[in-house]
Amino acid sequence: MKKILIPILSFLLPILTEAQTFIAKGKIEFERKINVHKQFEGEGEWVQEMKSQIPQFKITYFDYFFDGDQSCYKPGREVADAKSPGFFEVGVAQDNIVYTNFASQQFTSQKQVFEKQFLIQDSVRKINWKLTDDTRKIAGFNCRKATGIIMDSVFVFAFYTDEILITGGPEGFSGLPGMILGIAIPRINTTWFATKLELVPIAPKDLAPPTKGKKTNVPDLQKSLLSSLKDWGKYAERNVWQVML
Amino acid sequence: MKRLTLLLFCIVLFAIEATAQLTTIKGIVTDTAEKKPLPNSVVALLTSKDSVFVTHTRSTKDGSFELKGIPTGSYFLLITYPTFADYYTNINVKDENPIVLNSIPMTLRSQLLQEVVVRQQLGAVRIKKDTTEYVADSFKVAANANVEELLKRLPGVQVDKDGKIKAQGEEVKKVLVDGEEFFGDDPTMATQNLRADAIDKVQVYDKKSDQAAFTGIDDGQKTKTINLKMKEDKKNGYFGKVSLGGGLKDKYNNQAMVNAFKGKRKFAAFATMANNGRTGLGWGDQSAYGGSDNSNIEFVDGGVSITSYGDDFGGGGSFYGEGLPSSWTAGVHYSNKYDEDKHKLNFSYRFNKLNTNGSGGTTSQYILPDTFYFRNDNGNNFSQKLRNSLNGTYEIQLDSSSSLKVTANGSKGTSQNKAFNYSESLTDKNAFVNRSFRTTSSNGTNEAFNSSILWRKKFKKVGRTVSLSFDQKYSSSSTDGFLNSDNQYYDGAGSLIRKDSIDQQKINNSSQRFVSGKVSYTEPLSKTVFLEFNYSLGNSNSESERITNEKKNGKYDQYIDSLSSDYGFKVLTQSVGGNIRWNKKKFNASMGGNISNSDFRQTDLIQDTVYKYNYLNFFPRANFNYNIKPQTRLGLRYNGSTQQPTIDQIQPLKDNNDPLNVRKGNPNLKQEFRHNFSLSYNDFKILNNRGIWAYIDFTSTQNAISNSDFVDTLGRRVTQPVNVNGNYNYYSYFNYGFKLKKSDFNIGFNAGINGSQYNTVVNNLKNRSTSGSYSLGVNGNYRKEKKMEFNIGIDRGYNTSKASINTNLNNNYWNTSVNASATYYLPKKFEISSNVDANFRQKTPLFQQNRNVTRWNASLSKKFLKDESFVMKFEVNDILDQNIGFSRDISSNNITERTYQTLRRFWLVSFTWNFNKGGKAPRSPFE
Repeated sequence: MKKILIPILSFLLPILTEAQTFIAKGKIEFERKINVHKQFEGEGEWVQEMKSQIPQFKITYFDYFFDGDQSCYKPGREVADAKSPGFFEVGVAQDNIVYTNFASQQFTSQKQVFEKQFLIQDSVRKINWKLTDDTRKIAGFNCRKATGIIMDSVFVFAFYTDEILITGGPEGFSGLPGMILGIAIPRINTTWFATKLELVPIAPKDLAPPTKGKKTNVPDLQKSLLSSLKDWGKYAERNVWQVML
Repeated sequence: MKRLTLLLFCIVLFAIEATAQLTTIKGIVTDTAEKKPLPNSVVALLTSKDSVFVTHTRSTKDGSFELKGIPTGSYFLLITYPTFADYYTNINVKDENPIVLNSIPMTLRSQLLQEVVVRQQLGAVRIKKDTTEYVADSFKVAANANVEELLKRLPGVQVDKDGKIKAQGEEVKKVLVDGEEFFGDDPTMATQNLRADAIDKVQVYDKKSDQAAFTGIDDGQKTKTINLKMKEDKKNGYFGKVSLGGGLKDKYNNQAMVNAFKGKRKFAAFATMANNGRTGLGWGDQSAYGGSDNSNIEFVDGGVSITSYGDDFGGGGSFYGEGLPSSWTAGVHYSNKYDEDKHKLNFSYRFNKLNTNGSGGTTSQYILPDTFYFRNDNGNNFSQKLRNSLNGTYEIQLDSSSSLKVTANGSKGTSQNKAFNYSESLTDKNAFVNRSFRTTSSNGTNEAFNSSILWRKKFKKVGRTVSLSFDQKYSSSSTDGFLNSDNQYYDGAGSLIRKDSIDQQKINNSSQRFVSGKVSYTEPLSKTVFLEFNYSLGNSNSESERITNEKKNGKYDQYIDSLSSDYGFKVLTQSVGGNIRWNKKKFNASMGGNISNSDFRQTDLIQDTVYKYNYLNFFPRANFNYNIKPQTRLGLRYNGSTQQPTIDQIQPLKDNNDPLNVRKGNPNLKQEFRHNFSLSYNDFKILNNRGIWAYIDFTSTQNAISNSDFVDTLGRRVTQPVNVNGNYNYYSYFNYGFKLKKSDFNIGFNAGINGSQYNTVVNNLKNRSTSGSYSLGVNGNYRKEKKMEFNIGIDRGYNTSKASINTNLNNNYWNTSVNASATYYLPKKFEISSNVDANFRQKTPLFQQNRNVTRWNASLSKKFLKDESFVMKFEVNDILDQNIGFSRDISSNNITERTYQTLRRFWLVSFTWNFNKGGKAPRSPFE
């Protein structure tokens, strides 16, 4: 994927003759990849047999619309799936919508958690990112790697680019000096990587915050999840992480 | 480390509040070559201690920037701009005086000189090109040591107190595990959490930058990297269990099993002997020690289906039959995987022996027009079954899209049966109609060999697949037995009018050979619509020989034509089917069916005559599942099937094993057609812990193959199959369960309604038997982890039945069952548990015996040793000594109640030792 260089910030042109552009609005497609097999590592004989019957990866696409200091992340194109694994293999909160307002540092997200749809409103999560010198190209952009920890113990690896001005990312991730185009969370065997950036006009409806679901905030949701899943043993943990991303 | 960071942050924050010493950092970013400002550069402030990102800004049009509100501390300022090299500078904020950085020079990456890397060579270990490789096992570390300990021992590698690693003088920034980038990317995460003995090799090399790897052009940027190669056989060890149990006078339950594994190679062996109702490995032990060739796992839409095959030696390790079982089993299992799991081999051998001693009795009421008679049957029997079997499976992943699986299994066995029965028929006035004393015995051998080959291929287009399979089956059995029977016949008033006796030898030989092939193909019509086709061809060849010899002059040499036969059958079956399937997010549906043609050719090898039959059978299917909401699902299913008569139903093969109940064939029998509908609804709320399940199943049969009975005045019954209409049966089940708020108490309610209508012919009169059963139940359970568990369930049901030929008889009854179980975890690793299973069955005019049973079991166990590997247990089964085997059937015009001997009171003391080294028994998440 070649980077699309369209001079949208035309005011820069007079100053910068070499057209290094910084992107302030557009649409990014993310590919989320869940390593379904990895989730069953070290399990018994039957589970090994099960693994052989399902594809190793579950792939889903999301669109990230951004303009100025607002963004909205939502489910994107659907892929053909002869046999789609049920929630048992891939977990909960799979089709989230996350609206973020970076000016007010508030987000609104809509998540389906088992039978209930929640509308979570809270302030943007602060992650203590550690920047590294590693770089990697994602969707044609040079990205720098940062690592962070969420929920006390879950490692997150993020790749951001300084060529996009918004400080957002897939799901609720943000807080780096640029746009996060790649996220890897080994504990839940999931990665999100941008596949392309489209410089398309952004309509107000693309950035409309989600409205459906039972209103809640992060601490309340986490509390109710933990109490509902307390008999689930180690399977509870994975579900909680997945919901609370 | 993480905590420290947090603490530091707190201190920093505290400092802000206490002194409010905030400052501003200003500067201008410029391009050194062009001497121009660089707008939109990222100016990021990181803590100098651990590079944690604090804040950032972007430079303005003129390249200037201003970071405001910076508390005191020491920082890095990182400035980045696309295609320019990163700029780093140290900044110490001591007080509120603003820090002004003058022009910050940025340099294009392309202009930077390539860094020269001096590579150190170390001789003591393997050096491959630019990789230094240490073989982990050659460096001794303490047991249970982590990788950090191991690294400390490697020459040229240093680890400091914070876990930072230096290799060949340079800091190691990346630790990979099996070359994987993400897991353990934070060096300490991998080195402190992985066991040293799981590591095969430690490789140290300079990793090229991702950019270089991406473009293929070496930009000279390198990172000192350690790659930890895990041992292929990191799972190396064994686990097992030895359990000895005994109780006076003669109860025992002994088991020994071991599973030794090395990487992917697994070898398991087990032996069991028991007469307490166990018949081999339990459900949990089966997959660990017995291999999984008895179960099958399949993904169905939205879920997983696990099928486990039991056999006549008891399924799931428990005995469900009648009588007192003594069981011996032994087996070995070997499996291995080669070449990155592309080849899988499975092999197992089993020995089973099961002895059963039993006795029981059946009371039945046979309803005739305007009258009825009773039949009582009492007997005891002994049976022994013995079998040796071998199983093998070989699976090859031919390439990424196709696989081949070959399975073969064979068995050889013997069987032995002895039975004595007394039966009597009585009129409604309790006068004898007939009596029979019968002894049967037989010795038999059997063998079987089955094999199959399955080839599957997936095409690039998602959903396009083809599979081909061939199956072969062979089985044969022969028995040699004797029938001894004394029969007495009475007139209606109870006087003996006739006597006869039978003393015959019965020899049965049968064999079957079957081959079939099947091809199936699926084709996606769109992303959500799929077509499926299948065609199969099967040929079966079987022979069945029955010889009856009557005893004469002390010898069984009188061949009886009417009770002997020798038939050969050839059946050629062809089947074609198609199916269309919709896979949408909200629903999935399918529709289709199969048409099959069966061509029978039956040869009478004695008479040398041939009969031919040809049946065309239809199997329509439809299926609809609707996901109303997540965890709320509605399913509708229809299955239609033609059922052709069996050969026994068509052919007048006489069988006199029970001379008072003779079966006769009907050559005019037509196929029956079954329609089956089912509706299911599930609504499960995980967050609220509330569930609703409902299921309704209805089957109606056209041209149902039913029975026409003719009972003569001597009470002898001749049964012949006939076609009837109007047969149906249904069952339904509803369950509602929830968890009491803020407690660990779950409560459930359930209800069931079942019913049926069966038409039969009795003495040339049509009879319609209608029956129903209605039940209501409530159950509760309470669980407190590691403290106690308690379950209770109460069910009450009412059963009704009516036969149209004789509506005066009342066989309706109530039954109530109560189940309760409790486990309590006591201090000092003691555990006490008990369960009660009580069944109360109402007496009826016909069944006057008390059939109420309360079965109460209890056990006390104690775990020993730190790892709880040693368990001692004392258990008592059926403390009240009341247990009986019971079944009652009132659904037809033959009302029966059967009771039989089953395990009653005994006690058992057992000692179990679980051992393991380097591994533990794999657990199934479904346990």
